[in-house]
Amino acid sequence: MGFDIRSLWDIFALVGIVVALAPWFGRYLGRVYMDRPLAGDSLLLPLESAIYRLLGTSPRQSMRAREYMLALLGVNLGLIAFLFLFLLWQAALPGDPTGAPGLRWDLALHSAVSFTTNTNFTHFTNESQLSFASLTTAWPVAFFVSPATGLAVAAAMVRGFVRRDGTLGNFYVDMVRSLTRVLLPLAVLFALILVLLGVPQTFTAFVTAHPITGGTQTIYLGTVASFQSASLLGSNGGGYYAANMASPFANPSAVSDLFGTFVMMLIPFSTPFAFSTIVRRKGEAWPYLATVLIVFAVAVGVFIAYQAAANPLVSGIAAIGSQSNGYPVGQEVRFGLSDASLFQVASVYCNVGANNMQIGALSPIGQLDLLFGMFTQATPGGVGTGFGMLLLFGVLAIFVGGLMVGRTPEYLGKKIGTSHVRWAALAILVHPAIILVPTAVAFLGGFVSLAGLSPGASAHAFTSVLYEFTSEAANNGSALSAGQVNDTTPFFNLAGAAVMFLGRYVPIWAMLMIAELFAKEEALPPGPGTLKTTTVTYTLYLTLFLVIITALIFLPVMALGPLAQIVGGH
Amino acid sequence: MAAELPFTVEPGAQVSVRRRPHTSARRVLADSFRYFGLRHQLRRPLMFTVLVLLLFVCVVTVYPRAFPDIAATYHSGYYVAIAIILFLTVWFANLSDAIAEAQGRAQAESLRSIRSGIRARRILPDGQVRWVPSDVLHVGDTVEVRPGEPVPLDGDVIHGAALIDESMMTGESEAVTRESGGDKTSVLGGTRVLQGTVQVRVSAARGESFLDRLIRLVEGLGREPTPSEIALSVLLAAFTITLFIVCLSFVYLADFSGIVTIDLATLIALFVCLMPTTIGALLPAIGISGVNRVARANIIAKSGKAVEASGDLDVLILDKTGTITVGSRLAVQFVTAPGVDAGALLEAALLSSTLDETPEGRSIVRLAARRNATARRLEPGSYKVMPFTPERRMSGLQLQDGTEVYKGALRAMEAYGATMPEPIRRSAADAARQGMTPLAISRNRQVLGLVVLKDVVKPGIRDRIRELRTMGIRTIMCTGDNRLTAAAIAQESGVDEFVAEAKPETKLELIQREKTSGRLVAMTGDGTNDAPALARADVGLAMNSGTSAAKEAGNMVDLDNDPTKLIEVVSIGKQLLITRGALTTFSITNDVAKYFVIIPAIFATAGASRLPGVAALNLLGFGNPLLAVLAALVFNALIIPILIPLALAGVPFRPRSAIDLLRRNILTYGLGGLVSAFAGIWLCYVFLGFLLGVPFFHVAGVFVAHWLPLGGR
Repeated sequence: MGFDIRSLWDIFALVGIVVALAPWFGRYLGRVYMDRPLAGDSLLLPLESAIYRLLGTSPRQSMRAREYMLALLGVNLGLIAFLFLFLLWQAALPGDPTGAPGLRWDLALHSAVSFTTNTNFTHFTNESQLSFASLTTAWPVAFFVSPATGLAVAAAMVRGFVRRDGTLGNFYVDMVRSLTRVLLPLAVLFALILVLLGVPQTFTAFVTAHPITGGTQTIYLGTVASFQSASLLGSNGGGYYAANMASPFANPSAVSDLFGTFVMMLIPFSTPFAFSTIVRRKGEAWPYLATVLIVFAVAVGVFIAYQAAANPLVSGIAAIGSQSNGYPVGQEVRFGLSDASLFQVASVYCNVGANNMQIGALSPIGQLDLLFGMFTQATPGGVGTGFGMLLLFGVLAIFVGGLMVGRTPEYLGKKIGTSHVRWAALAILVHPAIILVPTAVAFLGGFVSLAGLSPGASAHAFTSVLYEFTSEAANNGSALSAGQVNDTTPFFNLAGAAVMFLGRYVPIWAMLMIAELFAKEEALPPGPGTLKTTTVTYTLYLTLFLVIITALIFLPVMALGPLAQIVGGH
Repeated sequence: MAAELPFTVEPGAQVSVRRRPHTSARRVLADSFRYFGLRHQLRRPLMFTVLVLLLFVCVVTVYPRAFPDIAATYHSGYYVAIAIILFLTVWFANLSDAIAEAQGRAQAESLRSIRSGIRARRILPDGQVRWVPSDVLHVGDTVEVRPGEPVPLDGDVIHGAALIDESMMTGESEAVTRESGGDKTSVLGGTRVLQGTVQVRVSAARGESFLDRLIRLVEGLGREPTPSEIALSVLLAAFTITLFIVCLSFVYLADFSGIVTIDLATLIALFVCLMPTTIGALLPAIGISGVNRVARANIIAKSGKAVEASGDLDVLILDKTGTITVGSRLAVQFVTAPGVDAGALLEAALLSSTLDETPEGRSIVRLAARRNATARRLEPGSYKVMPFTPERRMSGLQLQDGTEVYKGALRAMEAYGATMPEPIRRSAADAARQGMTPLAISRNRQVLGLVVLKDVVKPGIRDRIRELRTMGIRTIMCTGDNRLTAAAIAQESGVDEFVAEAKPETKLELIQREKTSGRLVAMTGDGTNDAPALARADVGLAMNSGTSAAKEAGNMVDLDNDPTKLIEVVSIGKQLLITRGALTTFSITNDVAKYFVIIPAIFATAGASRLPGVAALNLLGFGNPLLAVLAALVFNALIIPILIPLALAGVPFRPRSAIDLLRRNILTYGLGGLVSAFAGIWLCYVFLGFLLGVPFFHVAGVFVAHWLPLGGR
């Protein structure tokens, strides 16, 4: 597989389509949370009202941050409990053709937290360890609840900028509307398209094939199309197959690969426009979209450049001959480097975590590239929460930038004070803590042994552990899985569950608290002395702020991991 | 009778005493060491952290055997060097505090010296006069001050008028007039009476006067961090905590993953370098010097918060008179109504103004006197003064014989019942269009003519208002004049908006209106009428010449009585915030350069040749890793004293649009921080290498060889 420069056009075309659709779709997304007339109201409003009555709530019942958080935790903890018990006792449920036994308790807990927190980091192999019901029923429930939670948080946070009564909206209403207006209809639509593209959708768990080479082969089938559609749409990332999007059943062609990429990018790239719709300031979306696009474009470019370059370790060996691709191992070679790379980078940067490559076999810079996306978790990050993180970076950037223009910093007319800074800093700084501390504990406590490994291999194993906790902290789900590290032990299950839980709910808590602070403030009218955020200068400043702060925090571990892996050339 | 001031102004009477702040080097030095004390350090957690680390390094240096883990990498000279640099870092931070405080103290000292040993002539309730030291005076006591004597304490003139030299307080060399009645009654303790004798009622006890407040303020007593300073400290603390986790996990991860063992002192050096020590060290000095700059502009700010808030102002409400125009309107012309004798007009003008103490009234008297007007002698009790009231909007006299003489605005005159002759109405409109103020003069409801007062726009005011607009600040001119007069002045001065025919409560209404739409408003004022508005405004700058009520209500008092100072205050407030933001940005981009020095140095000790990916970070090509770490740490310490002047003076500030400021400051302090750190660390490295006896050429050679493939790698 050689690298054809023309294949970059696929990338430009796809990103172009996403960016072209983003304002339009974002506006729709914003209106979902604005109590405005929407297409489909006649059908869905009665249904939603019925659900609200069933839940005993009403759209008029607007919540403060604390209530919102408690409602959110209630739903999410309920889901964790449900998934935990389901996975623990999956063998006891009737009518399962796979005969998979129940998961060990620590693994069940890790998986339950993983699915609920939008992480979908798996410590099991779907085919052999999950029952048909777990795979087609329990897991997909989380596929909808977790991104709906993310969208609800984003909606509540953004409302803080336009409210004055200190309330953020009704969590249950936001959840329900996320499901009925966004996630469910889109998942159905995209599933149908995937079926058209050749992805299986059946209630048959598996078929047994008799290949001409003799013997028998079990081919797992099921509701693959709907599963993958919901997984990619909601930045979940769980694969129906363990090989995820590298499996030809989940991802049969280059078209399905590009379509999958589109599905992953749609909501995260549109959220800035939902924000600008809700705050009623059209231009405010662009600095965020531009920041995301700049970081994303550099990430894709660097990724492809290093994957396409010759691997210096191999190119020196005469017997192998000339090389057209330095890092072909573990790559999905059917789609060509550009399309496969775009999928992989989009998947990690959108906090989906679905793979179509073996990340452990990537070039070190490629690994670093993906790690960086999870360090920021805001370019664009997962559904809802990714934009929330970006807004928090924005608040801090505006704070420092506002000082530099000689005014007490304010954003959208709301002053940024000590409490705002405290919460924003907490959300951004909890991230390195829950990555670095468990990684250090893993080595200190002897849960990973690197005895007898060469420096390069040590660095690789180190990267694997770092990547795992980073992925869990960012609620990403992508895994590097170096062979030297066994991450299916109780330590990795329990530590991972804790990291995912904190990585999800601490930033959400901070986002809601900061939103309430904004929601209590009177909005000041914009004056000519206000720092204009809809400018190129501000956009570049935000981008640099985000990149520099992230790099400052993570450079030491990047040096220990990916950079130390480089043993020759790049 | 010719109106006359109770004294004559002689040019020779003007005295100018400029106080000159001076700092005592020895005191500053002593303070900088005293600040190593726990009480001072605990107030600055960032530098306290460095101090704790310093103590830790000292313990390890003195007694390394207690720490067997570090035996492998321990190098006594290196540890001593690190300890010395950490000590310098904390000391430089202390120094910046000490210098900033010394500047304030110097101002306070020169103020205090004015008042030592003042004695006062106290008037007892029974009328007796007794010499007492000013210390024993209480609020409400009355003192008499004669020419050549100092005013003992702040107070209000209750009797008489005097020319007073306030130069020792305000630096303003021109003497000012203070007199009983009206808005110019206030005198400051420490000032000196040049002409005239006045009785003064003491309004502030010793220790509570404005001078005392100024002294306390500039000395830093009661100074508390401002809101944005606290918010910035929180951000810096959060950043430091994160870096602590990063560095601590780094050492364990490096060691246990077997990739590299990090020396303890190097780790501490890395942490201290990455901590935002630059901004952390200078943050208090920036705040103190901001207040000092306000004080140097002869403004007493009652809180640092008010100084900071002035950077945020959206709207300035400016009095036309005194702020935009030179001050009092002066009578320049009489216009006689048809069929009226010119002498009658002059006489009526004189009568209506003889007992009018306002500058306008006096100018009418002077102009009439120059026209040889004569007035009949007024026996005491034969008349009743009808003072100007906002409701009546006229002033004049009622004589015993029933004659009523009034002067006032045309509309007020009509409301009072006088008919306005058409030519007079036309002349008035003409005058008003030229920005002049016509006042009708009437006797017994018959309009005799006009006196035209002229208002002169201050030179340079137009440019300052334009600057304000660039900074995004709207100006509203407030005046009691009629619309035409106000419009003419507004156009000449370039203000954004004006309110004509304002009543005293108009300012308060204006402030309420702007505040409800969320804007920050500032105003100046001097009258008791202004007090509610001054109190309500976000920044209320009271004039020192104003009434005590006004000065109590405002959160700043201008000793020079120059309302245009409000514009300066805005700049000082903005400069204060910009200095903080700029140095924070500088600190952050500095860190980038330090990383590129220390991280490769750490790995180099483990054999960089094995890890080319990390070695590539060594952009400066330093060959000696220990020296590289020391160089970064030295730069980190030295940048503090280098930036002290900038912190004290504030970053250069010129009015620009917000986004323009952001662009410039990012380039200057962001990019500048990056470049200067690389350059500075390189210089430190070269210098340290030189000190250690490594030939300069060798170090330079390593650097050159890194960039040019000369076979040196």
